[in-house]
Amino acid sequence: MRYDTIIIGGGLSGLTAGITLAKAGQKVCIVSAGQSSLHFHSGSFDLLGYDADGEVVTHPLQAIADLKAEHPYSKIGISNIEHLASQAKTLLSEAGISVMGNYEQNHYRVTPLGTLKPAWLTTEGYAMIDGPERLPWKKVELLNIQGFMDFPTQFIAENLRMMGVECQIKTFTTDKLSTARQSPTEMRATNIAKVLANKDALSKVSERINAISGDPDALLLPAVLGFSNAESLDEMKQWIKKPVQYIATLPPSVSGVRTTILLKRLFAQAGGTLLVGDSATTGQFSGNHLVSITTDHLPDEKLYADHFILASGSFMSHGIRSNYAGVYEPVFKLDVDAAKKRDDWSVTNAFETQPYMEFGVHTDKDFHATKDGKNIENLYAIGSVLSGHNSIKHADGTGVSLLTALYVAKKITGKG
Amino acid sequence: MNSKQNDNYDVIIIGGGITGAGTARDCALRGLKVLLVEKFDFTNGATGRNHGLLHSGARYAVTDPESATECIKENMVLRRIAKHCIEETDGLFITLPEDDINYQKTFVEACTRAGISANIISPEEALRLDPSVNPNLLGAVRVPDASIDPFHLTTANVLDARQHGADVLTYHEVVAILTSNGRVEGVRLRNNHTGEEIEKHAALVINAAGIWGHDIAKMADIKINMFPAKGTLLVFGHRVNKMVINRCRKPANADILVPDDAVCVIGTTSDRVSYDTVDNLKITSEEVDTLIREGEKLAPSLATTRILRAYAGVRPLVAADNDPTGRSISRGIVCLDHEKRDGLAGMITITGGKMMTYRLMAEQATDLACKKLGIDKACETATTPLPGTAGKDPDNPHHTYSTAHKAAKGRQGNRVKEIDERTEDDRALICECEEVSVGEAKYAIEELHVHDLLNLRRRTRVGMGTCQGELCACRAAGVMCENGVKVDKAMTDLTKFINERWKGMRPVAWGSTLDEAQLTTIIYQGLCGLGI
Repeated sequence: MRYDTIIIGGGLSGLTAGITLAKAGQKVCIVSAGQSSLHFHSGSFDLLGYDADGEVVTHPLQAIADLKAEHPYSKIGISNIEHLASQAKTLLSEAGISVMGNYEQNHYRVTPLGTLKPAWLTTEGYAMIDGPERLPWKKVELLNIQGFMDFPTQFIAENLRMMGVECQIKTFTTDKLSTARQSPTEMRATNIAKVLANKDALSKVSERINAISGDPDALLLPAVLGFSNAESLDEMKQWIKKPVQYIATLPPSVSGVRTTILLKRLFAQAGGTLLVGDSATTGQFSGNHLVSITTDHLPDEKLYADHFILASGSFMSHGIRSNYAGVYEPVFKLDVDAAKKRDDWSVTNAFETQPYMEFGVHTDKDFHATKDGKNIENLYAIGSVLSGHNSIKHADGTGVSLLTALYVAKKITGKG
Repeated sequence: MNSKQNDNYDVIIIGGGITGAGTARDCALRGLKVLLVEKFDFTNGATGRNHGLLHSGARYAVTDPESATECIKENMVLRRIAKHCIEETDGLFITLPEDDINYQKTFVEACTRAGISANIISPEEALRLDPSVNPNLLGAVRVPDASIDPFHLTTANVLDARQHGADVLTYHEVVAILTSNGRVEGVRLRNNHTGEEIEKHAALVINAAGIWGHDIAKMADIKINMFPAKGTLLVFGHRVNKMVINRCRKPANADILVPDDAVCVIGTTSDRVSYDTVDNLKITSEEVDTLIREGEKLAPSLATTRILRAYAGVRPLVAADNDPTGRSISRGIVCLDHEKRDGLAGMITITGGKMMTYRLMAEQATDLACKKLGIDKACETATTPLPGTAGKDPDNPHHTYSTAHKAAKGRQGNRVKEIDERTEDDRALICECEEVSVGEAKYAIEELHVHDLLNLRRRTRVGMGTCQGELCACRAAGVMCENGVKVDKAMTDLTKFINERWKGMRPVAWGSTLDEAQLTTIIYQGLCGLGI
């Protein structure tokens, strides 16, 4: 089988690149192993939330200019960032993911613990805040489903109170939700979202909420609505008398699952091929050219393409692996940027900068991967598999995924 | 600040490890008015940092017959009194090609002399009993080793002490031994949560503080020659072996693999460390390497099993009093009467020994205490079952119980009846790996001296399973808030909990363990913004 481009990895960066290339008329195949880091999504996308000193970034573009040369944004070049950032927002909205915010100025999202973190784009309907001193509410009600433990209301309430918001906690349930609770492992955000995908079940929820809510500036709900599209969020907006805003829950992330589904749908509409539940096992090289790959499900078949993109994620997604002896890229054995000695991979305090977070595939300035020191001319790496950035310390993970994907797609179509 | 009420005791016991808890129980059962004090949490020292092995004594049969005899006696006692903390796995002593098969005969004879049942079985039979055993084995001996949970064992002793009138203070650190005219009269305690200091008085003080007993003795101007010996262990992500697997040779490093609940533990290394490192033990790559190398020899499948975490404890070894060089170190029980030894009345030190001989240590210390106080009451701890084992099985044999109920019963024993399971709220699971329900957490918070998430982990195993606290830590913190813990404290606890889990993961952070650590980081720091 031959494609113009084969992408390894069906997470945010792989799908973004796939959509862009397919829309440009390419024959694209994505090999996707399964869940991606979008399952831990906050409902917001970040460009750059903190600078090298850990200070909150208000104007991302300025702070990006100060990043070190190895950072993927530095390779993209500051002059390209603005354009790619607008393109990313357009692509999301085309997929049906409505987001608010802009690249010129960060806003804040509310974390599942009720603290604030800087963000670039936030899913419509989610709580979005200008700043810690500029909260949009004086008085809120925090509503939770009875028995849903992945929404720590006590923490959220306390943190909001510390920011001067009067916050009352209320819980509710419906027959459907009570039934779901019979199995103690059923009370997870995505499972609840599936139960509430049913319109009747959802209208019962809105009735309960209307019955118990008082007169706050806003009702804050766990983000457990909209498994495969945003319809239920729109319906709730109509049915509930008070303004409703959502706060992300502990994983699995409903907005992340929805984002994945919507991006996959757009990719399919653009004519792309998605190999689900399959993973690339090895590649066949000719000199500094990658000719084809073999996958787990099609061991006797080779998948050929002119271009290849590695978008396989970091350690947690197995795009980068480690063992007793070292850190490696498992499919092609590409060169990686990583400390040699195991003791240098991490530090004792979990909350300090962990060196391993920056380990990843080594690339040149155009994101070509290298193998045994040689550039592979038609193999690119994008997203979390890249070395040189730390999504925890900089809050730049989703931004790097989106922007490197768009940048490489442009390179491939010759428009970059 | 110093309330004079309730501050006069017969005996104050220092140390919330298994020795202190056992001594508190024994003293309380003999009718003494007891105060048990612990500077942090129960099982914070060596009690919570060993194999969880109920030795048969076979390991010591050749080299230390006295210890071997003690072990087998206590082994049989604990099977009766602490049934709910023990899993009767039996153990194998295997001979590998690099070992001398002739040692087997010496070993079996020594076991027999010590009263330990030791049966030689064929390699085939050993592999049938436990398929994880190295198939290259030349021979095997079956002995009555077992797996024991030191956390639950300590809890049960504390509970029984309390039920017999003992007062218990955790997070209370002894900062001074009060003396007057050559006689100990009590202790000054600092509350490690508030910093407040109080004094408590007693006719006798028993130092059962393990390696920290060294400091306690110093406060009373007494010198005990203690030698901290660090032992490092590794926990594997699932239970590879069914039985305890040992090497049939003279005791050496990393030659015991113990199945504990859903995991298994290999250990230990043994290194003398300096006294100033005991509060901050570092695990080295060399130790980890040794454990993996030797562990794979016992059960080859360990080579491909995920390592969950590493941990280290300190054995409180004591040099014999007549040996100022400290070369002759005993692993046996040391019970010091400081009146006789140092001319300081009112103080006893109980140390040395092993986790599983705690009861005997407690008996010796309590016998001495009773003698000094003029109390003539025999020890009953060898025959009276502990709470959790005592009483009737509360479960109806015709009823089907949830797996969470069974898991809770595995931890709390017959006390499972005290866990509320009536409402859906109480039946909801906090920790899916270890099946800990909200009801069990609430029971622990109310009854088992739980102040923070680390305490809750030790009482219920929350966050001890394969995910090492990915979701359950936050859920458990939420439950703590709903049961009276202040929110800001619970947030700080959560940070500590995550860091404590990482501390154990870091020495083995490669492969799936590193992947899991990154995921936890993405969830708690990335998504939730904890510690940012």
